[in-house]
Amino acid sequence: MKKTKNTIIEIIIFMCGTLSVIFVVSIFIFLLKESLGFFREYNILKFITGRNWYPDSNEPSFGIFPMVIGSFLVTFGACIIAVPIGVMAALYISEIAPKYVHDILKFLVELMATIPSVVIGLIGMCTIVPFVKNFFNIPTGLTAFSGSIMLAFMVMPTIVTISEDAIHSVPWKYREGALALGATKWQAIRRIVLKEARPGIIAAIMLGIGRLIGETMAVMMITGNSASIPKSIFSPVRTMTATIAAEMGEVVKCDIHYKALFAVGLVLFIITFIVNFIADFFLGKNK
Amino acid sequence: MIKLSPRLSQKISYLLLFLATVLAIVPGLLIISIIIAKGKDVFFAWDFLTLMPINGMLDGGIFPAIIGTLLLIIITIFLSLPIGIGAAIYLNEYAKDNLLTRMIKLSIVNLAGVPSIVYGLFGLGIFVMYLKLGVSIIAGVLTLSVMELPVIITTSRSALKSVPYLFREASLSLGVSRWDTIKYIVLPNAIPGILTGVILSIARIAGETAPLLFTAVAFYTPYLPHSIYDQVMILPYHLYITATQIPNIGKDRIFATAFMLLMIVLTMNFIAIIIRIYFRKNRKW
Amino acid sequence: MVNKIKVKNLSCYYNKQCVLNSLNINILQHEILSIIGPANSGKTTFLRTLNRMNDLNVNYSRKGEIYLDNNNIFFMNMESLRKRIGMLFEMPIPLPMSIYDNIVYAPKLLNIVSNKSDQDAMVEKVLKNVSLWNEVKDRLNSSAMKISGGQQQRLCIARILAINPEVILFDEPCSGLDPISTAKVEESMIRLKQKYTIVLVTNNVKQASRVSDKTAFFLMGKLIEINETGKLFISPQKKQTGDYITGRFG
Repeated sequence: MKKTKNTIIEIIIFMCGTLSVIFVVSIFIFLLKESLGFFREYNILKFITGRNWYPDSNEPSFGIFPMVIGSFLVTFGACIIAVPIGVMAALYISEIAPKYVHDILKFLVELMATIPSVVIGLIGMCTIVPFVKNFFNIPTGLTAFSGSIMLAFMVMPTIVTISEDAIHSVPWKYREGALALGATKWQAIRRIVLKEARPGIIAAIMLGIGRLIGETMAVMMITGNSASIPKSIFSPVRTMTATIAAEMGEVVKCDIHYKALFAVGLVLFIITFIVNFIADFFLGKNK
Repeated sequence: MIKLSPRLSQKISYLLLFLATVLAIVPGLLIISIIIAKGKDVFFAWDFLTLMPINGMLDGGIFPAIIGTLLLIIITIFLSLPIGIGAAIYLNEYAKDNLLTRMIKLSIVNLAGVPSIVYGLFGLGIFVMYLKLGVSIIAGVLTLSVMELPVIITTSRSALKSVPYLFREASLSLGVSRWDTIKYIVLPNAIPGILTGVILSIARIAGETAPLLFTAVAFYTPYLPHSIYDQVMILPYHLYITATQIPNIGKDRIFATAFMLLMIVLTMNFIAIIIRIYFRKNRKW
Repeated sequence: MVNKIKVKNLSCYYNKQCVLNSLNINILQHEILSIIGPANSGKTTFLRTLNRMNDLNVNYSRKGEIYLDNNNIFFMNMESLRKRIGMLFEMPIPLPMSIYDNIVYAPKLLNIVSNKSDQDAMVEKVLKNVSLWNEVKDRLNSSAMKISGGQQQRLCIARILAINPEVILFDEPCSGLDPISTAKVEESMIRLKQKYTIVLVTNNVKQASRVSDKTAFFLMGKLIEINETGKLFISPQKKQTGDYITGRFG
């Protein structure tokens, strides 16, 4: 009796375990199904390289290229700010800060990770955006640059937490070896700890990039949503995510525009899949 | 170039690292304090919290959005928690190192990395359209549950992992079955870790907007939801539309909404930290 | 004397590497068999094969048979096997609960005791059996993690007695204990012999000579020699055995 009950429970647990695989596969299949419908009506090469996104005109064109540029520009900008600061902060938290400071800092980083992205967007709208407009004297502050700054804050917790884990997991004896040879603590950190933790730090950056590319709400509120190829980081841009979010509400379900947005989703899915796969590879290497 | 002495260069480097830490943390604190400073009056405006919005949301309160957010949180946790813990138990306690296990682990990594807006598309495709649930609480909750699953699995799994392996061996060696060992030894000792993870994911769910855009939310509903097939208003989406779509709305109303949202998030964070401190003190091993 | 355990042609492997090589041993009822040998000689692997604890290890595989009262243990239900063959580990592993609960934990789940008064009686009996009753009777409800290492190890023995096994395996049970605690554990072992069959793996040659009836010497995964303890220590048949017990290597 008890034996059968246990067996049933163990079967249920097994099914819970396999559910993740089913979900990933079904997400992919749903995206693929709608996208294939789109590619039957619209040339896939024109979709990827097309420079115009005019879904509502009489002769609609669905060129995703400007949005890809927009996503990468914002992501790249945020990385340039967040990666050096994040990795340095991780070093400080893990290696230098005294125990109680370490605990407080970790709590604050965790807290930052849970600030909703709409709140970050709101603050961006009323601080960075007017500042950029006035400081650089440009027609609008809704630019890739403003988006990059706000997103840098948003992605900071990811980079700090995962780099910190990597640095923390470097065995203590490595440091002792260097210190015993008369190196200062900083030399030991720079020459040995950083080198050993490198795979983990790369993983942190990749996971950060994955989050940045997928970020939607804050980007939509700050970057201006202009679907043309940006001239510089001070131009308004529109990301792939913002396009889906802004247009899906207004499309006729199951028409070509609807399917086109699923195709954009598929592109996003593939990019983040690759980025996360690389991150996972480096995380595995760290152990 | 001047060659600095190792001591001095250490001092300078530490200073730089410290400044970087400040730079990493302060903006977050700044964001929180701006919202609190500009939105705190909401505490003195009971009406704002308890009334329905009126006049195209220029007046009245955000009551339905608060209720909607709480509803989504509760039902999502209710759905994804048992499945997530089940999956974590499978991976940590039963799974052998084979192809299936590697596939499951890879799937979890990728589920965690799928952009939230893509979850929105998935939910629209499968729950709203294919299963014909329509734009509804249930469609939104199912979408959120799939999205939270990898987070719950990962945190639960590390909580299970933190229970020493020797306890399992001791229990098994007494002739106790595997499942009873999990139920009476592993799970009770993993609860604090699982709980912390759950509470932090509540904080995340409270702020999610993108996956709900086409699956659950309504711009405005004149009444509270009657069933799980109704649309809902939620705080983050309400914040988004009032901040971007309604031009002549009072700034204080926007910040008050943001304040409410942030309060839920902050409360969850503090509960998590209290649980962690409490259980660390009372840890049995 | 009756054969309690018969081991036939047992070989064990970790990642295809042989750690125990075609082993044949008979263990008699109500005797203490101690197994000595240097590190990596396969002693612990042998012990953990007897109650199939190693089956959880994914890198582990084996060939051959083991019979408990003429039943092949590899065909038995794992839980009922472990109920019949208890095991004491190298380090004391009290479960994170009270002293009382440590003892009644398994019997409750295995339906050995049901009501509270039976439980109380059992706790008292097994604790007295390991001479721990007087030391802990006033704090049965305090955490088992808080008593000393020697007390914990005796509690672990008491916990095994509570499920009423037929065989008890000891895996270097005194390696972390001071001489006085060791003496107390050894004392319990000799007393337990009346009712149980005992297999003791130990690094301490003197301990083997103090408590056991028979001693087996393992080296590099092979059984070199097995004999009555007195004979083995006085006149070992093989040179390696003599070298090991006189401390020339290992």
